[in-house]
Amino acid sequence: MDAFQNKQVSQSQKLMVFVLTMSLYGLATLFTELIPKFQVGIVEFSVEYFLFIPLVLAMLFDPLSAALGAATGELVFSEIMLGQFGGLGELEKFLTVTIGVYIAGRLVRDPRNTKMVGVAAFVGTGAQLLMGTIVDICKVQFAVEDFEAVAGLPESVYATEGFAFLNDLIFSGILFCVLPTLFLVPRLYGKIEPLLGMNPRTKETSLGLFSAKTAAGCAVAFLCAVCAEMLASSGFELIDWEASWAESGTAMAVGMIVAAVVALAVLMVMRGKAQTAKVK
Amino acid sequence: MLNKLSESILDKFSMDFLRNQVLKNAYGNDDTLIAVRDPRVLLLWYLFFGLVPWFVNDIVFLLGCFVLVMITTLLARVAGLVLFLFALGVFSQTGYLLIVTLLFGGDASAILPLLVLTLKVTTVSLASVTVFSGLDPDRLSNGLMWYGCPERLSFSISYAYRMLPMLMEEFQNVLLSYRLRGNPPAHDSIPGKIRYLIYQVKVIVHSFYPLMLNTAKRSRTTVEALEIKGYRYAASSKEVRRMKLASLKISYDDLIFAAVSFLWVAVTMLLSSIL
Repeated sequence: MDAFQNKQVSQSQKLMVFVLTMSLYGLATLFTELIPKFQVGIVEFSVEYFLFIPLVLAMLFDPLSAALGAATGELVFSEIMLGQFGGLGELEKFLTVTIGVYIAGRLVRDPRNTKMVGVAAFVGTGAQLLMGTIVDICKVQFAVEDFEAVAGLPESVYATEGFAFLNDLIFSGILFCVLPTLFLVPRLYGKIEPLLGMNPRTKETSLGLFSAKTAAGCAVAFLCAVCAEMLASSGFELIDWEASWAESGTAMAVGMIVAAVVALAVLMVMRGKAQTAKVK
Repeated sequence: MLNKLSESILDKFSMDFLRNQVLKNAYGNDDTLIAVRDPRVLLLWYLFFGLVPWFVNDIVFLLGCFVLVMITTLLARVAGLVLFLFALGVFSQTGYLLIVTLLFGGDASAILPLLVLTLKVTTVSLASVTVFSGLDPDRLSNGLMWYGCPERLSFSISYAYRMLPMLMEEFQNVLLSYRLRGNPPAHDSIPGKIRYLIYQVKVIVHSFYPLMLNTAKRSRTTVEALEIKGYRYAASSKEVRRMKLASLKISYDDLIFAAVSFLWVAVTMLLSSIL
């Protein structure tokens, strides 16, 4: 039997884990997107975090596939299907979810060790939330013109974001991530793996300790997430360009209108011709 | 009277309602003006209206873009729930920021930048609602693939749209069977209400246990079926890709759509430079 206990999961099993995490987490995020949040004072109660699903699966299966599956599931089900795709911001969410879930999955070497499972779930959620907070602050800073000049705005952004982070970490971090993970991992361990044709993860078959290389990989991915937002900051040049063009731009705008009208007329004529040709 | 009202609202907001809205959004309108556009043109269009508003602070220009994307959203006949969620999202986000700003000693001067921010967010998200909600999922995934998105992503989109109804039904069934067997605590008083909430959350978490096992089985079947059809080879093969994308054709109507949008933008630019 030992020969069969292959340490490496096959490509198709990775795809299975990917599909599994994607559909489950996608479904869950779809519901959170649909259920309105309610606020009591400034404390926001929301079932925001179904993050326990990918966390559980990342601890039991290949972490990278589970992490990518979770991020893709969220993107496809709740963003693209509901038409709430937010462009650059989604890239940041995609990467932070991937990193958070991946870290948690790598930390757990033996899923039967409940203490480690709890710590990993907390660390994974915390990492994801912290990265989200940092990027959120950047986002508001770049989107609002003369950020510092608006009285009271910088402090309010730091305060709301910091508070939201703590609130999320305590409320969803513990209630919605650590407790369900602690509940589900021991139950699913040894039961769900055979369904995908795998052996349960043990200390020997785990991917090994969290190495400096993986940490560096995560850091690079986070930098990418920040860069996605920094791309917005490079838009400052675009604003300058836009502004200088707006001053002398009447002639150019008129030119563009003329070009558009001509193109439209030509297209209309061509379409008319094509249609009459079809009728004949 | 009030009781009846809240009951009817809750009735409306049931699982079935949610499912119907999502399905309607995904499959319901494939004959609209937006749905039949070429996905490549529409994605380029989105690239413009999803990016440019972030970098422009000219109110006339932003308003012009906003009106255009609003018209296209109406043309795409997006499901009501999506629009409602969108409105809720935008206004809770920026409205909340405004209240806190005032709380921290900001004055009326804070309103204008926030208004600009709201306008930007609205325009960008309406553009995405138009493209991603209005476009047929298969066409969308083909379009993304044409631009070189990983095969995984377009597979995920097609898979999600086909699997979602089944998954939702299964989740509902599991949830209902837990409810049927469970004994919810009385929820008349405040502590009872909290207990009831905890009970609900617990049921949801518990119901993910059978759901995970079932989905694991299903995803194994899916992947094995894909393997039989040579999916992983096909995903990397250039020829398969070409065959798959051969159905994409840009018609004159697509170009006219692009030209009209261009004309609109040019007119708003003219207006913003005159005003």
